Amino acid sequence: MKTYLAQRLVIALLTLLGMSMVIFTLLRLAPGDIVDILFSTAGYVSPSEKQAIMKELGIDRPYWVQYVDWLRQIVTGDFGKSYRYDQPAWEIIRPLVPVTLELAALSIVFAVVIGVPTGVVSAVRQDTTLDYLLRVFSLAGLAMPSFWLGMVIILGLVTWFAWIPPLTYVSPGENFKLHAVQFLLPALAVGYRSSALIMRITRSSLLEVMREDYIRTAWAKGQRGRIVIWRHALKNAMLPVVTVIGIEFAFLIGGLVVTETVFNLPGVARFLVQAILWRDYPVVQNLVMFIAIVVILSNLFVDMLYGVLDPRVRYGS
Amino acid sequence: MSRPRRLLCLAVVSALVTVALIAPASSQTTPTAKSGGVLNMMLREDLSQGFSIHETSTISTVWPAMPCLNNLVLFDPLKKTESVDTIIGELAEKWSWQDNYRNLVFFLRKNVKWHDGQPFTSRDVKFTFDMLREAPDAPAKLRINPRKDWYANVEAIETPDAYTAVFRLKRPQPSLLLMLASGYTPVYAAHVPPASYRTGCIGTGPFKVKEWRKGEFVEYVKNPDYFVKGRPYLDGLKYFVIVERGTRQAALQAGKLDVAFPGETSKTAAEQLKKAVPQLVVTPFSQNVSDNIIMNVKKPPFDNLKVRLAVSHGIDRRALIRAVHQGGAVIGAGLAPKPWGFWGIGEKDLLGLPGYGAKPAEEKALAKKLMAEAGFTPDKPLKVEIVTRAIAVYVDMASFVINELKQIGIEATLKQIETAQWHAMATRGDYQIGANLTGIGPDDPDANYYENYACGSPRNYSQYCNEEVMKLFDGQSQELDPKKRLALNVAIQRKLEADAARPILDWKIDYFTVWPHVKNMIPHQSIYNFGRMQEVWTDK
Repeated sequence: MKTYLAQRLVIALLTLLGMSMVIFTLLRLAPGDIVDILFSTAGYVSPSEKQAIMKELGIDRPYWVQYVDWLRQIVTGDFGKSYRYDQPAWEIIRPLVPVTLELAALSIVFAVVIGVPTGVVSAVRQDTTLDYLLRVFSLAGLAMPSFWLGMVIILGLVTWFAWIPPLTYVSPGENFKLHAVQFLLPALAVGYRSSALIMRITRSSLLEVMREDYIRTAWAKGQRGRIVIWRHALKNAMLPVVTVIGIEFAFLIGGLVVTETVFNLPGVARFLVQAILWRDYPVVQNLVMFIAIVVILSNLFVDMLYGVLDPRVRYGS
Repeated sequence: MSRPRRLLCLAVVSALVTVALIAPASSQTTPTAKSGGVLNMMLREDLSQGFSIHETSTISTVWPAMPCLNNLVLFDPLKKTESVDTIIGELAEKWSWQDNYRNLVFFLRKNVKWHDGQPFTSRDVKFTFDMLREAPDAPAKLRINPRKDWYANVEAIETPDAYTAVFRLKRPQPSLLLMLASGYTPVYAAHVPPASYRTGCIGTGPFKVKEWRKGEFVEYVKNPDYFVKGRPYLDGLKYFVIVERGTRQAALQAGKLDVAFPGETSKTAAEQLKKAVPQLVVTPFSQNVSDNIIMNVKKPPFDNLKVRLAVSHGIDRRALIRAVHQGGAVIGAGLAPKPWGFWGIGEKDLLGLPGYGAKPAEEKALAKKLMAEAGFTPDKPLKVEIVTRAIAVYVDMASFVINELKQIGIEATLKQIETAQWHAMATRGDYQIGANLTGIGPDDPDANYYENYACGSPRNYSQYCNEEVMKLFDGQSQELDPKKRLALNVAIQRKLEADAARPILDWKIDYFTVWPHVKNMIPHQSIYNFGRMQEVWTDK
């Protein structure tokens, strides 16, 4: 187990290093830089002034120097300064992280709470009217972009109740009820889409498992349906479902852009897009690295969970 | 009842009747301003350069930064029209033109303090404007200085004492006062580095910055030491950054926000809002922003006047206004037309200019003729790439233009340029033809001409340069008779359109929307000049 974990950590570090190279290169391949954006807000360009600002920000140095400098900063826990805000990048990133983590976690909870039971019911009642209805429900979730659903929710609220969720982040300590409302609605919009995916995976996986001999044996032994399905069948059908949940969670960390934008939540994804548009390299690079770390950790967590769900899974060299 | 009692009763009854008669009348008059309350407003993006108005040209900075700062003079926030007659003193108590408009003397207020408690003096004025005009002995330099050209005519700034500042000009320039009255022209504190305005704000303004949470909101509290007694009325201001347009509109509709963003509300959006919430107050006003065509006069084929004129003749302005703006714009030449602006040419007088004719078919026929004369025929059409910024308002207009050009034998394809590249590309002239939007700070000829049409100006994207026209610019600039100056400006605008220097397609109208409890929020004829919030109060 320890060897396995060590191996995974080494691989994770190599992945992060590769990731840092990719994001560093891609950012610089995109046309324009922060100085172009600054001038665009002023409506003109002066080559000499541009050069001076590039020097001030250190982006006139060779790329490899900038890259090594960034790695050195990461190692020393200094994430550089935001070009746009002239403030330490970490100070800007830090308040965004809990917002996105909470939204992603809540969305996944919704997705699991809706997706798994409906998937089970759909599998157990295969080819009945209920199955068809649930499949339509899940297909609708897959077909409906979460940002669109979010906007529909907002427009519905404003039209019928003349109310919309808070426009700035409300911490739980400040007002728990408002905080809950602020997160529940976007989590519902995002969770519905993820639940559709989980429902379909649960259904197909469960159908497969239910055709296994040991399930037939369980039925033949006269065990109650609930025990056969929930204890024997579902436990074995959960491996692909857990994989999907892990992937979905990792995806949500960086993929909540539009939902955070529509609900005006100050999260990682929304800020990342703004930082990319501003070519704010220190913020973008560090945010992407943060997302990469979350993806790697959630994958590791899922892999570890396999062993819990399926005792046949062994971790070793 | 005794006589005195009867008299007393009579007096009481008379008083009550009088009060009853007066009451309805007074309820119809403007209510007295109330103090207190917080005004909630929207921003469509975070402040791009913090509060450093001098380093930017975007309303996204000017609007939320104005409450922190003051100018020497300002266009009266309570008057719609911006002209020399509606300028009021801010940091300057009074001012005087001397030596036949060669010296502009400001007599400064003596009771003004910066938000950090330091006194305001003429040193701050000299510091700010020497920095802006990049005087050789300026004690500080801005990182980016987009309006340096505004002060090209300022020879020196003298401060004979702590409360007098004299702007010495190279030649008479009455317009200088109007540019100083724009929201673009606040006075910075000499005792703090100019760069500090990018992260915070030490101003003299009616509100102090309480918190700027990046990407979320900017919050202000009332400045208790503000030099205008009894102002501001509001206890605070809060500007919420809401990137998504639909969410902004929903927040306004739900009453979470009190005021729309200037330049944000189209005619259609205003109609939808009014339908949903009939009590909302919509005030159409000029954004002082034009849709226009930039053609690089240094590059073929647009170095040929005939081709430029063909383009101008070929675009049906009125159809553009109907199709793209749903009627929310007006036609005009180089400056916004009356009643939306002061200096522009009215629709009647525009009829004879290229592209403004009332019969689009005739205009298009003329355009085709010009194209043929320039050597482009249906068998040998002109093929060009039309550039525009990758922003919806630009792309919508450019798409319409492409369709119009197709009808006169110009086969244009659209190339969208990201914001990061747009100004650099336009300034360098790395394009043939483009669909552009131009916003002007104050509605004043000098602010427009020297920036957008003058030889060598970095914002003169079409590279148009005509020494004769430059003389006309200078001539109108120093003309002291308002009527003569207006006439000169009409002639200049006609000349610019005749040269197809930057054909103007329309001037956009904003349908500024506020809740009825917001009082004294009066939009001007430019979106850049009415954000001080000193007079605004709420009747909630």
